This record gives sequence, C-alpha cells and structure tokens, in this order.
Amino acid sequence: MTAFIQYTLQGLSTGGFYALSALGLAVIFGVLGVVNFSHGACYMLGAVAATVLLDTLGLGFWAALPLVTLLMFVFGVLMERLLVRWLLKLDPLYNFLLTFGITLVLVDLVKRRYGVSSLPYQVPAGLEGRIDLGSLSLSRYQLFVSVFSVLVCLAVWMLLTKTRIGMIVRASTEDAERSRALGINVGRWVTPVFGFGIALAGLAGVLAAPFRAVNADMGSNFIIVLFAVVVIGGLGSILGAVVAGFLVGLVEAFGQAYADRFSQVLIFVLMALVVLIRPAGLFGKEEAA
Amino acid sequence: MSQQLTQKVDVELPAQSVIPRARPALRWLMLAVGLVVVLALPWFVYPPVAMDIAAWALFAISVDLLLGYTGLLSFGHAAFWGASAYSTGLIAIKLGMPFPVAVVGGAVVAMLLAIPTGYLAVRRTGIYFAMVTLAFAQMLYFLANMWGDVTGGENGLQGIPKAFFGVELVETDAFYFYYAAIPIILIGVFIAWRIVNSPFGRVLVAIRDNPARARALGYDVERYKIMVFVLSAGLAGLAGGVFSISHGFASLQELVWTTSGKVVLVTVLGGIGTLWGGPIGAAVVVLLEDRLASSGFNGIGIITGTIFIVIVLAFRHGIWGTARNGLTSWLNRRRIKTGQRL
Amino acid sequence: MRTKSIAVAATAVTGSLLLAACGGGGPASAGGKISDGKVVLGLLNDQSGVYKDLSGPNSKVAIQMAIDDYKKKYGDKAVAKDIEIVQADHQNKPDIANTKAQEMYDRDKADIILDVPTSSAALAVANQAKAKKKLYINIGAGSTALTGASCNKYTFHWAYDTAMLAAGTASAVVDQGGKNWSIVYPDYAFGQDMNKSFTAAIEKGGGKVQQSIATPFPNDNFATFITKAQSSKPDVIGTMAAGGDLVNFVKQFNQAGLQGKTKLAVGLMFITDIHNLGVDQFQGTQFTDAWYWNFDDQNRAWADRFKAKTNVRPSFAHAGNYSAALNYLEAVQAAGTDKADDVVKQLEGKKINDVFLRNGEVRAADHNVTHDVYLAKVKSKDQVKEDWDLEEIVKTIPAATAYAPPSGACKM
Repeated sequence: MTAFIQYTLQGLSTGGFYALSALGLAVIFGVLGVVNFSHGACYMLGAVAATVLLDTLGLGFWAALPLVTLLMFVFGVLMERLLVRWLLKLDPLYNFLLTFGITLVLVDLVKRRYGVSSLPYQVPAGLEGRIDLGSLSLSRYQLFVSVFSVLVCLAVWMLLTKTRIGMIVRASTEDAERSRALGINVGRWVTPVFGFGIALAGLAGVLAAPFRAVNADMGSNFIIVLFAVVVIGGLGSILGAVVAGFLVGLVEAFGQAYADRFSQVLIFVLMALVVLIRPAGLFGKEEAA
Repeated sequence: MSQQLTQKVDVELPAQSVIPRARPALRWLMLAVGLVVVLALPWFVYPPVAMDIAAWALFAISVDLLLGYTGLLSFGHAAFWGASAYSTGLIAIKLGMPFPVAVVGGAVVAMLLAIPTGYLAVRRTGIYFAMVTLAFAQMLYFLANMWGDVTGGENGLQGIPKAFFGVELVETDAFYFYYAAIPIILIGVFIAWRIVNSPFGRVLVAIRDNPARARALGYDVERYKIMVFVLSAGLAGLAGGVFSISHGFASLQELVWTTSGKVVLVTVLGGIGTLWGGPIGAAVVVLLEDRLASSGFNGIGIITGTIFIVIVLAFRHGIWGTARNGLTSWLNRRRIKTGQRL
Repeated sequence: MRTKSIAVAATAVTGSLLLAACGGGGPASAGGKISDGKVVLGLLNDQSGVYKDLSGPNSKVAIQMAIDDYKKKYGDKAVAKDIEIVQADHQNKPDIANTKAQEMYDRDKADIILDVPTSSAALAVANQAKAKKKLYINIGAGSTALTGASCNKYTFHWAYDTAMLAAGTASAVVDQGGKNWSIVYPDYAFGQDMNKSFTAAIEKGGGKVQQSIATPFPNDNFATFITKAQSSKPDVIGTMAAGGDLVNFVKQFNQAGLQGKTKLAVGLMFITDIHNLGVDQFQGTQFTDAWYWNFDDQNRAWADRFKAKTNVRPSFAHAGNYSAALNYLEAVQAAGTDKADDVVKQLEGKKINDVFLRNGEVRAADHNVTHDVYLAKVKSKDQVKEDWDLEEIVKTIPAATAYAPPSGACKM
C-alpha cells in the first residue's frame, strides 16, 4: 500500500510538470489553430538559456525563471511576426511543417554554439534532497516543480476565464466572425498569445534544467510525449491538457513500477485507446470532418 | 471551433486542379528525360548514393500519395520504411531468398502493419492524423529497440546479403546492383502513377477537397483512406527494403521519427501533389547530406531547415511545382505572343 | 630514331635493375610497394553529434601526431613517405557511415579507416572492410559483436568493449564490499549485454543482484525506477544508462537524496561527460576507463602535447586513435608495404606497450586488442587541482581479468 501511494505521489508530481509543458501547446492551438512542432525546441532553448545565464552573467535559477520566460515571450512574438503569421490563413499543416523546419534550425544552432554534451545546472539552494513522510519520500525539487506547475496552470485558467482579456481571446477562438462583428480586433491577440505559449515552453525548460539533462536534443523525444498528452486531452482544450498531463504522469509512474520497460509504450497505448473510443480526446470537441 | 477553422482555411494543397497539366507531347518528353536520368545516374553519382536517391524518391512518393493526393500528412512513415527494412533483411538472411523476393516480402509486412495503424489514424484528419501516426511510429521504435534478439537493437540487423540468382557482379558491385534494383523502384513509381490516374485516385482527390461531399456521394471515405494508407505503406516498404538490401543492414535509424520528418521534408521540398516532386526532393536532400558529411561543416539541420522554411513560406508548390508553374506560364505567354505576331 | 628508342629502353631497364638491387637492402626504398604511392588514413566519426567531444575532429589531431611521430622516428627510412588523412562526419547514422566507408576505400584510396563510434555504424564499416579487403580499426564503438559473430580478418577492436567495462567495474566494486546490487539498465542491446556481464561479474565475486530493472530507451524520467531500485536497500545501484540518459539518471538519483548514501556504479561513462557536467553531480561515482591522461608521466607528457594543439585534455578515444594510427604505420613499416594482408599479419599477435596500451596484445584469435584498464572514481570538487583533473584511479585492472577470452562466435 505504501508503495502504491508512493508511486501515485511520484506520478502526480511528474504529471504536474507534463501539464505545464503541454499547456503552451494547447493555448497556441486553441487560439491560432497551429500545432507548434517547435514546442520541444523552445523548451530546450529555455533550459539552455538558464545554463547560459548562469554561466555568463552568474544569474541563478530564481532570476532565470522570470527572465527566460520573458525572453522566450519575445522570441515567440518574433517567431509569430516573422514566420508563423504568413501561414495562418492556410491549412494548419503548413504551420506544422514550418515549425518542424524551425526545430531543425534551432537544434543545430544550439549544437554548433553550445556543443552536444549536457550542460551543468544545479538544483537551487533550499530545494535539494528529499522530504520524508513516514515511509514515503519525495524529492523536494520534484515537489516544488509540481506545485509550481499546478499554480501556473491555475493562473492561466483564471486568466482565460475570469479576465476581460481572457474572455476576448476565448471569444475570438470560439467564433472569430461574431467577435469581429462585435467590434473585437481578433488579430491583435494572435501575436501575444503565441508569445505566451512559447514563454510557457521556456518556463518548463527552466524548471527542467535542474533535474533533466540539458542539451540540444532534450526536446526531441519530449515533444512526442507532449503530443500524446494533447491528443489524449483533446487538442486546444486547456483543461484537457492539464488532466491528460496528470494522467500520463500516473501511467508513467505505474508503468515504471509494474511494467518497467514498457512504461513509454504504455503512454502510446493509452493514446491509442483514447483515439479509438473518443477520437476527439477526453475534453476535445468533435470535429465536423 | 473547428468548423470555424475549416471555414477560414483556404486549402492550398496543389494538385492537378491547381497546377495546369502539361501537354501530352511535353509529358512524353519529360518521361523520356526522366528515364535517361534514372539510367545514367550511377555514372555521375557514386552508385550507393544513387541507390539512396532512388529509394528515398519512392519513399517520398509514398508520402505524397497521402499528403498531396489525399490531404493526409503522415508523420510516422518511417514505421513502414523501417518495418520493411527489417523484414526484408530477415527474409534475406534467414530464408536466403533473392533480394527482389525479400523486398516484396518486406513491403507486405509494411502493409499488414498499416492496416491497424491506418484504422486508428484515419479516424482523425489533418493535424491529429499527423500526431497519431507519429506516436505509432515512435511506439514501434521503442519495441524494435527492445526486441534486440530479432532486430539486433542498436547494433542493427547486419550482414543482409544481396542474393541475386548467383549473378556475382550484382551481388558485389554497387554499380551493377543499382541496375538490378532500379526496376523495383520504377515498378513502385508506376503503381503510384496508376493509383493517381485511376478512378480510385480521383475519389481520393475528391475526398481531399471536400470529404463531406464525397461522403454525400456515397463513398465510404474512411475505407478509401485506409486503402490508400495501406498502399502508401506498401510503397514505402518497397523503398525501405531496397534501401536495407543496398546498405546490407537495417538499423534503428530507419524507424526513428527524424526519418519520418526527413521524408516529409523531401516531399514538400520537391513539390507535393506531383509524382516528379519526390525524386527531385530526394536528389537534393541526399546529395546535400552526402556533400556536407565530408565538408567539415556540422549543422546540416541549419541548412535543410532553412531551405524547408523558405519553401513552406514562399514556394509551397516545391521545386518541381514552382518550376512547372513558371514553365507553363512562360509557354502560354509565348504562345500568345507568337499568335499575335502571326 | 630507332637506335635512340633502344637506348632509352636500355637505360630504363638498367635503372630499374639498379633500383631493384638497392631495394633488396631494406624495405625502406621499396617505393613501388605502397599502393597509389601514398598511405591514406580515413577518419570516420561523429563530428557533430553526441560523440563529438569524446572523439570528433580532435581525433584528427591525434592521428596527425601519430604521423609526425612515425616520420620523426624513421626519417628517410620510412616506407610510407606520403601520408594523408581524409575525414568524414557520419552523424552517428549507420547508412551514412556505410556509404562514406565505401567512398573512402574506393575513391579516396584509404588504406585504413579509424574510429567509427556507434555500434550499428561500426558493424556496417566492419562489413565494408571485409568486402573491400582493407583495414578497419575501431576505437569509438563498444559492441562485442565486432570481435564476436561479426568479426573478420580486417577489423580490429582497439580501445574498450562492453564486456571489459562490466568486468572491471563490477568485480572491483564487489571487492570493496559492495555486495548487494540493484541494476537499472536501458532495454536495448547494449543495456541488455551490460546487465548480463555485470550480473555475471558480481556473482562471480560473491555479490548478489537483488533486482535488475529494465527501462525504456531513450528515457527522461527515472523517478520511480530509482525508488524501486532503492526499495531493496542495496549497497550499490548500478546504472547502464549512457550519454544524456545517464545525466538524467544521475540528476534524479541525487535529488532522491541518495548521493553519498547509496554507492553509484556506472557502466559506461566518458571523461567528457564529467567535464561538461561538472564533478558535483558525479562525485564518488565509480566506473571503468580505458585510459586517463593524468595517470602517469608518460600519459601526461602526451596529453600536454595534445593540449598545446587543441586546448583540451585528451579522452581515451583520442589516445586510442593515436595509438591505432601509429601501430598501423609501424606495421606498414615492418611489412614494407601497405598491402592489407601483409599489414594484418604484422599486427596479429603483436605485443604493444605505448602511451595508450599497457601490456597490450592484438589477439590473433578475434582481433580484440586487450590492455590494462582502470577503475576510476570521480573526484570531489575540493580534490580537483586543475581543469580536466577529474578522475582518481582507484586500481589498475590487468588485461587478463579485464577482458573475456575470445568468444567462440568469432570465425575469421
């Protein structure tokens, strides 16, 4: 029983991180209809940026957290203005392909500049070691990451549902024509929302730096897990991404505990099941076609 | 929401409907030139590299059959290319079959694998289809890696023979092997051409352009999609089988998702919705990779990625599509001019 | 006209007879015995991916050092006067390695290919070497298949293999009192091999493997695997993860509060891993290294030369490339020709002591080059005296115990 609770705890804490990482992907799809393939590369950029800030300016984790997020927001805005924008009116496949091209370029640029081996990064002071609760134990940093992630997810959800900006953004995504008729400038929100999604990827990257290998390839496999998360949750659904993030975290933890080598394959099996039973994902709306 | 999206989407997947078809005389000329290039290739390009170009060309055509003609982006086609590479190798090693038989066997395995995958994947369209196929390919990658007894894990499946009825030149010399293997690739291309120019192919285009109307006309859209998916997997399988025989091994590289990405890149670069695009894209990418490997420049992704971005942004018809559009409009203008003069 | 041409012919014949007579004195002047008039060394490795730092472009510097040393040693007597290096980046892709190897042998007239990390690529090149009847000396790949089922007459395995890594680390750690083990290994051929070799070595030394946990590969998240490995309260946790996955594992191992509490043994680790990530994460970790630059004065002197050219300290792969290239040239010198079969004959069974190989022997049976290897322990921060001063050599593992006897699977 203790073991069971222990695995659940671990699954939930990994899940929180997955939820946050997938959140930006869901937000961008929800508003722009773009599946951002470069989300993994942006996550990687966030982590690499954190190590570079430490190395060159001596700025630690707590400074990197807001700073990198801001930098990645600017990066996202530029990416939208210079590239993504031109394809928004076309089939979403084109932006999927465009962001795939961006991924290739970003990964190899980082390889050329910072090499391919993992870069050093430490757990911030005060979050090292673990917390013991009776026979249960959890890494202090892991706990911090999951609580922090849940708070960010909640904040984003509040932003979208409880504020005026959020209402405008949601209205724009749900019915662009009517919003336009009501005098809302839909296009105005596209750029900041894209930047916001990229900033979330960067934020996840900074959070990952202390507990994952930081290198140019760190996003390459991660993006595929995140795709599985958003397909399970239903593309574009923020609640879906969060719930599916936790679900995948739990599946992975129990997979590692009881089906070791198959723990990754289980995630794809879960995805296949969801696609079979509810093609639109757990919280997605049915498509017309 | 998605309904709104489809409304604002201006489908710009080029095909016969968008690009005017060349006149018959010109088409025969192009076909002849194409054949000469295919036959002369190993004289100008290092033969193993020429074989790679041919295999990648068919692989790209198989992807284009889905992307250009049916509007489905498979981002997991490495699964079929790789599954066939391994199966072809196993058939050649364990049963000692001549390589054309082994390649056909590999293609059959790829098609069998495509049935359940296709069944699940076609339930979704557009971007979902891409992600679902990607995830399945990744799952296969994990399984092949684990199943080291059969696949050789990260060592790869080594020592695949090029058995060809005891003809030693073909079995040992890459130059002659090219001519023995190229008919398989050409048959694959011919099958693709037949599919595209058949009533079946026209239904596919109809499904791509307006699935709702196709359904209303009584076509079982899902079944058509599964069928083309399986056919496409078979072509990818032929290509993958030739590739593994040519190299003498199959490795996990054949299954990893970057291979799926590379073939999409090749297809889009050459031009989608046109059978000529795949071969042209394959020639560009394979030759580029080959040159860069000896150039001392690291960061091939920077170059291919940038080319890809430019193509997607500015030349969505790809190299072939852009060239053909330019050529036809030039020909038309000339015809008008000469007409005026007369 | 006619007399003239006869005269020319006569002179030519006399000349060649004279030359041949001189040539009888020693192989040094047998100019015609070098194919195409020059010896070409092909360096085929990863110059842009994960093994770039381990070997990569700096191995070319190491090979050039070998050429310089050879020329200095033999001067005018050198059989190989004109020596060239060609190189290519295989990006760890076996298909590119395969094509480039053929191109090197056919077009660049390479007499030998060196290095080739990534076992699928190395095995492909070994097959090409066999087909083209030219030499291949592997340094970067660790697969035992190269000296097992896939061995051939023209392929040599120079630096390290997975069996040696396991035997070295496992038996040494058991000797130090680490009896109870949990092993966490990635579930692919390398990991499976390592798990088997480790388990055998641990049990032979009187230790016990409480559990072997297979993980997916690649994998980012090891949290629950580590919890599970720790649950049987072992003395040692052994991980067979490598590269980026190893970094993931070690970071998460440390965050689970296990650093310093449970001993960590690593199956495969390179000095470049430690250097890039810093000693803090790895300190106290034990692993087997094939060579260490600061082991003795001889190594250090060579490392100083290397650093003067590259500004970094050499990894075992750099020293291995140097040693392989130098011994190849020595074999050419001894054979008096670069003909592959003659060179192979010179190399087979040769006993070598150089800057890389101590008590080295090129085993004739399977072409595995055995030598003394080292159990290393990662230093803690306060022990580090200079850049790259990262390892403490706990023990020298003699060649005889480090390497398994030739496997019966190898049939030349």
